[in-house]
Amino acid sequence: MERLASVLLSSVLSAGLYATMAYGLAVIYGVMRIINLAHAGLMMLAAYVTLALNTRFGLDPFLSLLVVAPLFFCFGVLLDLTLIRRLPQGGNAPSMQSLLLLFGLWLVLQNLAYVVWGGDTQAILTPYTMSSVPLLGERYGVPLLLVFGVSVLSLLGLNFMLRRSFLGRAIRAVTQNRDAALLSGVNAARISAVAFGLGTAFAAIAGTMLSTLYAFTPDFGRSFLLKAFCIIVLGGLESFTGVAIGALVLALIENLMAAYTSIPTSFQDAISFSLLVLVLVVAPTGLPALFRSFSRRAVAR
Amino acid sequence: MKGARAWMAVLAATLLLAPLLAERGTLNDLWNVAFAVVLASAWNLLGGFAGQISLGYSAFVGIGAYTTVLLADAGWNPWLTLPVAAALAVLFSVVVGLPTFRLRGPYFSIATIGVGEAVRVIASGMEFTGGSSGLRMPSADFHFLSNYYGMAVLALLTVGVMAYVRGQAFGLALSAIRQDIDAAEALGIPSTRYKLLAHALSAALVGTAGGLFAMNFQYISPGSVFDFRLSLSIVLMPIVGGIGTLVGPVLGAVLFSYLQIKLLASPTLRDSYLFIYGGLLMLVMLFEPHGMVGLWERLVQLGRRAGRPVAGAPRGG
Amino acid sequence: MRLLREFSRAVLALLLLHQAAFAQDVVRLGAVLPVTGKESKIGSAYKQATELAVKEVNDAGGVLVGGKKLKIELSLLDDTSDAAKSAQLVEQLITQTKVHAIIGGYGSQLVQAQSVVPERYGIPYISGGAGATSIYGRSKWVFGTLSPVEHLATTQMDFLQDLVSTGKLKAPLSIALITEQTEHGNDYAKGVKAYVAAHAAGWTIPVEQKFELYTADYRPLLGRVQAAKADLFMADAHLEDFISMQRTYAQMGLRNQMITYGARGADEKGRKTLGAAADYIFASGWWSDLLPYPQVKAFNARYKAATGVAPEWYHALGYETVRALLVALQKAGSLEPEKIRSALAELRLTDSILPGGVLTFTKTGQADLPFVVTQNKPGGKVDLVWPKESKTGEPVAPIPWQ
Repeated sequence: MERLASVLLSSVLSAGLYATMAYGLAVIYGVMRIINLAHAGLMMLAAYVTLALNTRFGLDPFLSLLVVAPLFFCFGVLLDLTLIRRLPQGGNAPSMQSLLLLFGLWLVLQNLAYVVWGGDTQAILTPYTMSSVPLLGERYGVPLLLVFGVSVLSLLGLNFMLRRSFLGRAIRAVTQNRDAALLSGVNAARISAVAFGLGTAFAAIAGTMLSTLYAFTPDFGRSFLLKAFCIIVLGGLESFTGVAIGALVLALIENLMAAYTSIPTSFQDAISFSLLVLVLVVAPTGLPALFRSFSRRAVAR
Repeated sequence: MKGARAWMAVLAATLLLAPLLAERGTLNDLWNVAFAVVLASAWNLLGGFAGQISLGYSAFVGIGAYTTVLLADAGWNPWLTLPVAAALAVLFSVVVGLPTFRLRGPYFSIATIGVGEAVRVIASGMEFTGGSSGLRMPSADFHFLSNYYGMAVLALLTVGVMAYVRGQAFGLALSAIRQDIDAAEALGIPSTRYKLLAHALSAALVGTAGGLFAMNFQYISPGSVFDFRLSLSIVLMPIVGGIGTLVGPVLGAVLFSYLQIKLLASPTLRDSYLFIYGGLLMLVMLFEPHGMVGLWERLVQLGRRAGRPVAGAPRGG
Repeated sequence: MRLLREFSRAVLALLLLHQAAFAQDVVRLGAVLPVTGKESKIGSAYKQATELAVKEVNDAGGVLVGGKKLKIELSLLDDTSDAAKSAQLVEQLITQTKVHAIIGGYGSQLVQAQSVVPERYGIPYISGGAGATSIYGRSKWVFGTLSPVEHLATTQMDFLQDLVSTGKLKAPLSIALITEQTEHGNDYAKGVKAYVAAHAAGWTIPVEQKFELYTADYRPLLGRVQAAKADLFMADAHLEDFISMQRTYAQMGLRNQMITYGARGADEKGRKTLGAAADYIFASGWWSDLLPYPQVKAFNARYKAATGVAPEWYHALGYETVRALLVALQKAGSLEPEKIRSALAELRLTDSILPGGVLTFTKTGQADLPFVVTQNKPGGKVDLVWPKESKTGEPVAPIPWQ
């Protein structure tokens, strides 16, 4: 029983990070119908920027979020203005062209990191990196708890922004019904820029948090990108509440599998990717489609 | 088209006559070109003609290569393993295609990344594949020249098949699927069946190439034949050359194998191959979605009607 | 159409381009190393060491072959950690650059792929970066200075057994065996398991797990280790995974009596990024800068002076591999492949910096030298604790967890 409790706690903690990772993809997808393959590259880049801030100015990685997130927001807006906007705008269906363009961007970002920081493994060491606290009979690392806290805070912040600000409402409107929103006079160009900025900022937040947990190289991020895809697909590509559910489901599957089966943990990724394919096929609109009416009401109010 | 035929003649002559003129080192490079041509052209059948961008083609290379090595290890003549390699690749293409072809556009692409990664992870974890240690061919069976001709003929066969398919009802159906899948279905084209067929045909060619790859390298491992980077370059070659065209993938393949061979030897450019790959991809997407072929045709048109503005990018090739 | 024809002619010319004539009075050495990509960290170190070893000889006028001092021309290529490319580049060096001998890469998979090529052309090949036994003994042209990974594991077990005999650890001991999904990891696991099978009374392995290179999250894996409550934690990992896994290990509050990550642990990068969490980890290796030989002390000083880097085992192996090849060249007195090969096969390098001080190759072409064991101590200190006669400090066992 205690084991189950700790497995559940672990899952919730991982889910926080997973959700942050996936929100970045979901915002961009929701508003622009673009699948941001550069997401992994942006997470990786943020991890390096955090490292640079830490080594140059001794800035704590969690405090550096205050710099990194706005910085990447601007970077995202810039990317939208210089690159994405040049593509033909393709109505409701995501375009292959944007997928491949961002794929190219991912490769370029990787190479950038190689040139600037080299291929060496990097890691950020803070006084609390190795400390842990006991919870429910097991020890949990302080960074993991902090990461969970920051994830929850940033997701709540995003939610607040989406509900209260005009821009946020416009973003939600476009996400829910693109054509209607555009017809009613929402400025599509502005919303797209903000959405891409937000998505990039969330990728960066996730990247910074990953850097407090793991060692990284310029190749870092592909496995997390696939996890994030898996989550937004599980959660339904358009639904924000769904992302949280998707993150929790994936984290639960991973942790339960490790705790109660003897399937090698090295197959974990294979299993989540197969799950991704399975869900795409069985329920292309995601699991929460089953609770659609319920979640609609929740989102609307 | 006349231009296309001239290109193919150049390719055929180069590949088939090279052993008379060139030395071993050059032939190795040409083997690479031929291998790349098979991968790029075969991918183009599904990705270009039918518009289904798969990012998991290394799975077929891997399945072909493993089949050949495992059967050769069991005493088979390596050449006889090739049909089996192709057949297993086809089988896998159907198993993967049946569920994933229900997905459209980018959803399909993402699913194929997942499939590719899953296959790699599983191949590194299995006992009979030698796990991550990989497998070796029995060393007695190495004859470079026959390997060379094997790959050269396969490359020409692939291009020939593509040229043939393009003119047939099958090719036209694929292009209808690419342009508007709903309209195609409304016209009575069974899109899933045609996509499966295209997938299977290209898988057979890529699987055979995988078998030949194993025969030439004599050592394979998940890191070499199931690698994501292999899938990546399979996608990049036809896109940079000119997606959906006949000549484009061949041009892309020649360019990429040349880049790979020469770039790696140059210390200054070596560190920027991802810049080059990524940059090319971005440039193509931003400015000329039909790649080198599109650029070429644009130049030709500019030359013809000098002074008049060009309206839109020309298609085909 | 004319443009088309011209262009195709240019492509053809490009493809059929032959290399220019070669000068005769140099030794051409080829090397293919993973300077970028997954193995780039250690691949780059090999590159540095290889280049230094060649430069030292060239600065001294070259290598004496058959009464003539010949300069060395090194062509070092990067395979980007891609096995297929690696083999192709070796082939390219042999057929186009016409090298006299090849210095092999780093990493079992890459060297595996390379090692089929020398046999085709009859060119001597020596690698300093692959310890997997399955690479050797298939071709008479392939040599390697890295001793078998199985024996690395066996050395660790001998070391642990010694700790039991001296009363520091109490038998029977259970081992959590966690190895990376590579040939290196598999060989390591094989070594430990073979030892346990032969000494069944003292040892058990209640949990054995493999993991993918560059795993994102080690919590599930280490959760299994935690549940198994083993006495010893024995892993085999790349530097990246060592750092990530040991971080998670510390954060989860795991406390085994002894911890090892195979060949990892003493690496400066690891100690820096892990801080106190790297203390007391023991590691085996093919070399240590703490070896008490005069030639090692001289090598350390020379290497540091030339590159500004304190040498780690991969620098030493990269350097010694080139030296072995050049000494063989000198002994062969000729650039004929067969003569170089037989000189390598009969080589006895007596002032070697490697453990034991004498480098020879076994019948399979692989070296089989003793291993060293080091242990990290608080304050960033590292002690050589095995072999006993060379030790610079007492092993601490079990780990004194506060």
